[in-house]
Amino acid sequence: MLRRQFLRVAYRAAAAISSHLLTAKTALAAWPASLFAAGDFTSQFQRVHGEQAIRDSDAIRISLPEIAENGAVVPITVSSDLSDIQRLYLWVEKNPTPLAAEIELDASLAVYLTARIKMAESSHVTVIARQGENWLRNRRWVKVMQGGCGTG
Amino acid sequence: MEASIKIRGRRLANCTEIKLLISHPMENGRNRDPVSGNLIPAHFIRELVVQLNDKTILTANLGGSMSMNPFFSLRLKNHPVGGRLTVRWLDNLDNSDSAELLLE
Repeated sequence: MLRRQFLRVAYRAAAAISSHLLTAKTALAAWPASLFAAGDFTSQFQRVHGEQAIRDSDAIRISLPEIAENGAVVPITVSSDLSDIQRLYLWVEKNPTPLAAEIELDASLAVYLTARIKMAESSHVTVIARQGENWLRNRRWVKVMQGGCGTG
Repeated sequence: MEASIKIRGRRLANCTEIKLLISHPMENGRNRDPVSGNLIPAHFIRELVVQLNDKTILTANLGGSMSMNPFFSLRLKNHPVGGRLTVRWLDNLDNSDSAELLLE
């Protein structure tokens, strides 16, 4: 009985230590909480991109449904033939937390990314791409038939 | 814990397409439990890291606007045959998981 209890405690301790190690190894960088905070799009966008000059560009291609039946799952594909796109930002302008994702891409990846985003209501979806010193923008309007309660 | 990450690799003409499907509730903290009416606490993946042969090729910081059970696809230039692809996530409650795929 004692031995069994000891084994159980030892097992739990080992599990706790290994999961702690795993967490420590996984935490590569601090998650930038302020960028993902709730707030209106204009002020959050300002917080992330500041006074950076951003140029509208059709070279950043966005594929989104024109009408989304279910705002809880809206598929988005961002792609470009431009080289040197190092970073992408996905913004859902009318969501309570407008920044959906900030993504760093290595040069070994093509500029091609598919994801699924939540949309609380009909909104522009804006993609910002960083290409070296240049910042590019494109956006699409998506009409959302049913925004999930509390989405975004 | 059951594996939370599914990885698929597929050769296309000039690239290898990688698809990731992760089981995760991605609760943003603003939904209410339909039975109790209480707010469901935030529980979402904040960081996703993809490595190829231990070199980081994609880092994503994610917010509560990503859908439940996140799906991603990306494209590796060329065909890194024999490459070892590693996917790792970390959520706001410090849970994490990882998975690997050997590219054919």
